[in-house]
Amino acid sequence: MAAIDQAPAPPALRILRSTLWAGARLVSIALLLTAWELVARSGIVTPFQLPALSAVLERIWNDAASGDLAINTSVTLYRAMVGFFIAAVGGVVLGMAMSRSAAARWFFDPIISVGFPMPKIAFLPVVILWLGVFDISKITMIVFDAIFPVVAATVIAIQGVERELIWSARNMGAGQRELLWQIVLPAALPTIMTGLQVALPLSLIVAVVTEMLMGGYGLGGAMMTASRFANSTGVFAGIVEIAVVGYALVKAMALIRRRLLIWHQESQNFPSP
Amino acid sequence: MASAAQIIIDRVNHLYRPPRGREVLALDQVSLEVANREFVALLGPSGCGKSTLLYLIGGFLPVETGAILIDGEKVAGPGPDRGIVFQHFALFPWKTVRGNILYGLERQGMPKEEREKRAMDFIELVGLHGFEDSYPSQLSGGMKQRTAIARTLAFGPDILLMDEPFGALDAQTRALMQSELLRIWQRTPKTVIFVTHDVQEAVYLADRVAVMSARPGRIKTIVDTKFDKNDPDILKAKAFVEKVDEIWHLVREEAIKAQGKRA
Repeated sequence: MAAIDQAPAPPALRILRSTLWAGARLVSIALLLTAWELVARSGIVTPFQLPALSAVLERIWNDAASGDLAINTSVTLYRAMVGFFIAAVGGVVLGMAMSRSAAARWFFDPIISVGFPMPKIAFLPVVILWLGVFDISKITMIVFDAIFPVVAATVIAIQGVERELIWSARNMGAGQRELLWQIVLPAALPTIMTGLQVALPLSLIVAVVTEMLMGGYGLGGAMMTASRFANSTGVFAGIVEIAVVGYALVKAMALIRRRLLIWHQESQNFPSP
Repeated sequence: MASAAQIIIDRVNHLYRPPRGREVLALDQVSLEVANREFVALLGPSGCGKSTLLYLIGGFLPVETGAILIDGEKVAGPGPDRGIVFQHFALFPWKTVRGNILYGLERQGMPKEEREKRAMDFIELVGLHGFEDSYPSQLSGGMKQRTAIARTLAFGPDILLMDEPFGALDAQTRALMQSELLRIWQRTPKTVIFVTHDVQEAVYLADRVAVMSARPGRIKTIVDTKFDKNDPDILKAKAFVEKVDEIWHLVREEAIKAQGKRA
């Protein structure tokens, strides 16, 4: 298969081809947006039910001009990212502890097994009672949700490190501490990154949901405010904004992954042997 | 024991304990002596415990009964006096060829300039010049194993433990790597214990071939296989072919026994 794909193409042609492919991937989104605009203008639905895309974009533009968009986006991103980083660090540390200590595994394994599939949002009322309705309770909810995939990925990643890799390092004189930092963690990194890539959009989702439920600033809060004032353009503007922010976050994370895992099979252009 | 043996394996038993199910006797009263700079092949059917024996010598698995002595000292764990090369290379995929080779030298605390030079010397020795900044995922199987051999030789072990090192390579690369290994071995003489299930490979490379029995692994016979390694036509020589045939029959019996036990 590889032999057929790898017919050498001149660089200009290759760039053109990859640009076209990148463009082609956006066709479905463009079609969806066009359909939205056409349906909204056709009169089948009222502007209250479905405001036109152009009206929504205008609203976003006005929000951006007034500074509301920047405030709401940064508030939501702040909560999502703080929660994500705590979940990332805490999750990796907890996962490492579970991999290395039988006691930690004995204690946390059942908690992870029960907690992972559970809808953590059920704890929201409790968290509100304990911590109030401000940043701290929202971030707590984000950490609570996002830490599970990180712990699970870290445990699986460390279990999957080849015995021969550890033995080679010990053969070359690596002690326990060096094994952990220089061998086990780098070897586990691809799978840990996968866990982080699950945790990141989860952090944004929980940030928006908690904002919707608790109110206040943020993209989710702004949407609920717009909804309360029956401002459907504002609601749809929020949906578009969240979609763009989420997409940007996921793309940034994928970029970081490629940078960190430059050595990994997936980053090479040619097929594995 | 006044012999000049560098490695003494004295009545070693090994129990393999699977996570589930009953324990299995993998090695049964294995004794073997290997002289300094000798090349010994461990040959036997799969599952006979030859790799296990190698891991015990390497100190990666604990010796529970019997003893393994290196230069008179009991093996109590891995050490840089014994370097291992694995079938699946076990390279650090996040390090380049150079980085892999440097790792052991860094652990030894060798000064930067010296270790850089030493790494390049060994890259040169295994014929990987120009690939020092490649990652393992960019290399072919043969090049990966060259890197692994260079990495192990670079930290200067007296004893080289090789666990089916060419088992994952295609036939042509394998033949090439065998003569390369001999060339390197002649330039940097070391004691080598080489695990394989390829009879011709064992006879070609080794001074002595230890044929192991089917599980539980015992040393069944030790056959002298000293041939002129520099003779380009050695593989076709009558004495060589007869030796391969002789050993092949010994191994075949054991392979059949192993099959029978499994069935």
